[in-house]
Amino acid sequence: MKTNTERLQEEKRKIEYLLEDLASLESYAKDLLNFFPIPICVVSSIGIILEANPALEEISGYQMEELIGKGIEELFKSKDIDEITKEIFGKGSVRGKEATLLTKEKKEIPVNVYARLRKTEEGETIGYFLGFFDLTEIKKFQEQLQTKINELERLREKELILKIRESAKTADIEKKVKELENARKALMNILEDVEEARKKAEEERNQTLAIINNFADGILVFDKEGNLSLINPQAEAFFDVKGRDIIGRSVGELETFPTIRPVAKLLGKEIKKLSRQEAELNENLILEITTIPIVRDKKILGKMVILHDITRGKAIEKMKTEFVSIAAHQLRTPLSAIKWTLKMILDGDLGSLTKEQREFLEKTYQSNERIINLINDLLNVTRIEEGRYIYKPQTTEILPIIESLLKSYEGMIQKKNLTLELKKPPKLPKVKVDIEKISLAIQNLLENAIIYNVPNGKIEITLEDKGEEIQISVKDTGIGIPKDQQQRMFTKFFRGSNAMKIDTEGSGLGLFITKNIIDAHGGKIWFESEEGKGTTFYFTLPTVGKFEEISEFFKMKI
Amino acid sequence: MSQELTKELVQKLLGIKGEVRGVVFRTDREYVLRKKGEEYLEKVEKELEKLGYPIKYEEIKSMNFYPIGLRILSLLVIKEVLNLNDDAIKEMGLVATKSSLIIKILAKFFFSLQRVFATEAPKIWKKHYTIGEIEPVELNEEKKYAILRLKDFKVHKIMCTYLEGYFCGIGQLIIKTSKIESKETKCPFLGDEYHEFLLTWE
Repeated sequence: MKTNTERLQEEKRKIEYLLEDLASLESYAKDLLNFFPIPICVVSSIGIILEANPALEEISGYQMEELIGKGIEELFKSKDIDEITKEIFGKGSVRGKEATLLTKEKKEIPVNVYARLRKTEEGETIGYFLGFFDLTEIKKFQEQLQTKINELERLREKELILKIRESAKTADIEKKVKELENARKALMNILEDVEEARKKAEEERNQTLAIINNFADGILVFDKEGNLSLINPQAEAFFDVKGRDIIGRSVGELETFPTIRPVAKLLGKEIKKLSRQEAELNENLILEITTIPIVRDKKILGKMVILHDITRGKAIEKMKTEFVSIAAHQLRTPLSAIKWTLKMILDGDLGSLTKEQREFLEKTYQSNERIINLINDLLNVTRIEEGRYIYKPQTTEILPIIESLLKSYEGMIQKKNLTLELKKPPKLPKVKVDIEKISLAIQNLLENAIIYNVPNGKIEITLEDKGEEIQISVKDTGIGIPKDQQQRMFTKFFRGSNAMKIDTEGSGLGLFITKNIIDAHGGKIWFESEEGKGTTFYFTLPTVGKFEEISEFFKMKI
Repeated sequence: MSQELTKELVQKLLGIKGEVRGVVFRTDREYVLRKKGEEYLEKVEKELEKLGYPIKYEEIKSMNFYPIGLRILSLLVIKEVLNLNDDAIKEMGLVATKSSLIIKILAKFFFSLQRVFATEAPKIWKKHYTIGEIEPVELNEEKKYAILRLKDFKVHKIMCTYLEGYFCGIGQLIIKTSKIESKETKCPFLGDEYHEFLLTWE
């Protein structure tokens, strides 16, 4: 029989064994829980996490003490956890339900949830175990697999289409193939034509470029925006520039180049219309500039500027003018001496003359006068051309000048039995003119109207107030000017073929001088004529007010 | 070593009657390891050794009973070595509930607040300590508060702080809330007859 002490010691030993086993069990349970690579937790029946393993700690990002005591709904999307808990408490377990885990860092991880209900021995529900697999890699794999499947399906579809095409070799298809073949041939023909046209266009373009590049004149082409798009080598040489430095620039920009500035100024920003306008680039280079619009289908595509070198022509002309000037001066002095000598003889200062002597001397005197007049004309022309024709404008009325001139021609008019009519308005504005020069201009027109008029003809002089200018016309009923010669009427030394038959003594300089005088006063001169019926010369003179406005121009001319 | 932890005090503490389950040393160990690592655990053990009461935390059996004075000494040394304030001691109590084996065993009953308050809380206490007694005073789920009384447990003031956290931790395991607090409202060290803890939550 065991004593009480022995029994107590035995009980104590048993308890010690039990405690040791319990400690081992605790260690075992803990090791097992820690070992599990999948996240596991124990959840109370009211949804509080009571236990968790390191795997859950790791995937969720929460520390153990944060996890324990936390509501399980904080770890999953609310919809997911609602379904999971419903299923646990309804069916007792959850097997592989997909859900989304929410980490501490708000990251979403797809997981596959497993859970089992916990009950006491009495059957009382006390919570559940919950574990899950991370599906991230599986999901990735699924997506890759789905991509492959999709690719495979597409390939199958293609294969199927190919098979259908292969099997569908019907007459209809053959017909269509033939049609396609014909269409292809037609297309090829068109392409050949297009290619031929392209080659032709290219050849033409090359030819045009060759012409432009080898053209003796300089050429500038501006596009419709006013930017330089082409310059030929001759123009490059004129301006001493390289095309690549100025292509694409506007006229305004070109003005910054000193060698181009004179031309650019003449052209203006809008590239105005110019016809044979002179520009002196330097002492040794004078260009004549003409602008031409480039038009296609009535649309202006740009403007071309032609630069013609007139340096040599100008030099020759200058030399010629200088020669004429010198020759005229040299001739006039002895002719004047002859004139005064003849005058003295004719006046009887050197003794009386016989009738026959007087007739000869008078003819000589008149011939000498004509030569002096011719030389005066020549000198006027050279002065005009050399820019030495000095004007001294003054404000005056034009009518007295005309009336005075008419008076001096009364004898000639009567001799030819011409009728003279002067039409004038009651009042005319004043003009600002060089009286001597303007008299010469009107005189030339009057003389022509008298000389080339028919006997018993009529001369009609009309003065009209045109607002800012006065218009004067001299109308005759003379021989007229042949149509084919009308364009040259204002050029030097030109005389109409019919005029030369009537008067062999004219110099052909009168109208040239007249035009220059009218131009210099800011006026215009033109005529209307019909051979055998007569001619009307018109010219205008600006009124004083208008003259002041254009004085800059006037000064330039002077 | 502070003036507080004198050999005399240690002697006095070890003279307190009553025992406590080894699990509390295990939770102390867990806390030190988590907060400061192995090095500090060794420091704590060395300090205890210096005081003449060496504790090898690893060898402590969760279910065995140990002198309650040793438990208090463990807390005081940890506080000293880790330089902890009252909040940290409170945190120790809170975290202890989450790694305590006994709590885990009892957690199966944590499905009813009423049951835990009325029945399990006194049991939990008895399963841990051989002295003292938990008395549920009032539970108002509507107003969200509970009052627990701890009688016959005047051991050391550090336990008052520790238990504030401990009851808070238990509360977290049974009440689904984002915020829960525990406060000692009565204390024998302040002249009261017993400890009284007020738990409030949102």
